[in-house]
Amino acid sequence: MMSGRTCSSGHVVQAQKLVDQLRVEAGMERIKISLTAADLVRFCQDHRRSDPLLTGISASSNPFKDKKTCRLL
Amino acid sequence: MRSPLTPEMATQEVQLNETLAHLKTESETLKTKLEEERAKLHDVELHQVAEKVEGLGQFVMKTRRTLKGHGNKVLCMDWCKDKRRIVSSSQDGKVIVWDAFTTNKEHAVTMPCTWVMACAYAPSGCAVACGGLDNKCSVYPLSLDKNENLAAKKKSVAMHTNYLSACSFTNSDMQILTSSGDGTCALWDVESGQLLQSFHGHAADVLCLDLAPSETGNTFVSGGCDKKANVWDMRSGQCIQSFETHESDINSVRYYPSGDAFASGSDDATCRLYDLRADREVAIYSKESIIFGVSSVDFSLSGRLLFGGYNDYTINVWDVLKGTRVSILFGHENRVSTLRVSPDGTAFCTGSWDHTLRIWA
Repeated sequence: MMSGRTCSSGHVVQAQKLVDQLRVEAGMERIKISLTAADLVRFCQDHRRSDPLLTGISASSNPFKDKKTCRLL
Repeated sequence: MRSPLTPEMATQEVQLNETLAHLKTESETLKTKLEEERAKLHDVELHQVAEKVEGLGQFVMKTRRTLKGHGNKVLCMDWCKDKRRIVSSSQDGKVIVWDAFTTNKEHAVTMPCTWVMACAYAPSGCAVACGGLDNKCSVYPLSLDKNENLAAKKKSVAMHTNYLSACSFTNSDMQILTSSGDGTCALWDVESGQLLQSFHGHAADVLCLDLAPSETGNTFVSGGCDKKANVWDMRSGQCIQSFETHESDINSVRYYPSGDAFASGSDDATCRLYDLRADREVAIYSKESIIFGVSSVDFSLSGRLLFGGYNDYTINVWDVLKGTRVSILFGHENRVSTLRVSPDGTAFCTGSWDHTLRIWA
């Protein structure tokens, strides 16, 4: 049976890793949502005309939409 | 029998316990600080910023193709960069390559295991990767000769100690990123099978991953059974951001097309959007009437639409900016297990436990 000493040092290593990880995350530079959200909106707006699922392109330009009538199953 | 504690050992044990207590206090302090920092930036909601954006009209999306051929649940699919070929994998151990325009099967491989949970198309279109309960990720070069036995050229690349849940080539055929039930993600060299980097940090099975769009740099996001979504630096192996707001397993993660955010889908029946620069969740896509888990999510090309495949057999289409549902699609006769928008955004494909794949447009 191992002494309690070995168990403790394993826990310490784990705890140290957690603290190191949290330090990395806490040190990150963050930006306000009002600014970042505006960028998300701008990206959508800038690309909306080139989004076929959004604009809905005609059967003639969408290879998946063929002009055959659908078969009813 | 336990050996008696010497005075030296006793002192060491006391010191270790003190260190442990000190570290615990520090981690609590850091966690509180993180929460405070994130809260400071929460000056507005995404849908408020999007108030002036035009609402979306009615969407008419239908099944345009049904791909039949799997003998059991379809678990995963991926598009080829040529925008017409698709690879899919199934519980029955089969991996099939389809021409989605014609619905013809071009290749089929039988894996030595059942539950092939992951498959991916190589950027060149010349190979596919797959794996599952075999704990491996294998690469099969696709031959132009339909009679050639693909299994003969199989290359074993990744080895995990539990099931393979997801795989993706990086921007070339040379490297593959994997996630596993063993709680880790890993980056592999395809040619040598060498492990290039491993990613530790999830506390349970990792279920999904997605690579950042190439312009954004070398990061990827993973989601797991520990309810966490982690963003990783591919070169250092370091977890650079972590998000824990879901209430259950995260089954799917997908980057917003600009690379500044990512969406997730979870067993808690919600999809969420996380803004990477604000370092927080900025939207939840949910309805009281939606109570079944989300298995897979993907964005339309502009990022305005988020498609979610659900365990109640439906696909819900969300307005990413306004947070509302714009459409619900029916057709599958069992869980939707996988969903991907085509590379040119003209359609999306779903795979289901009903053994079929459907192309929607």
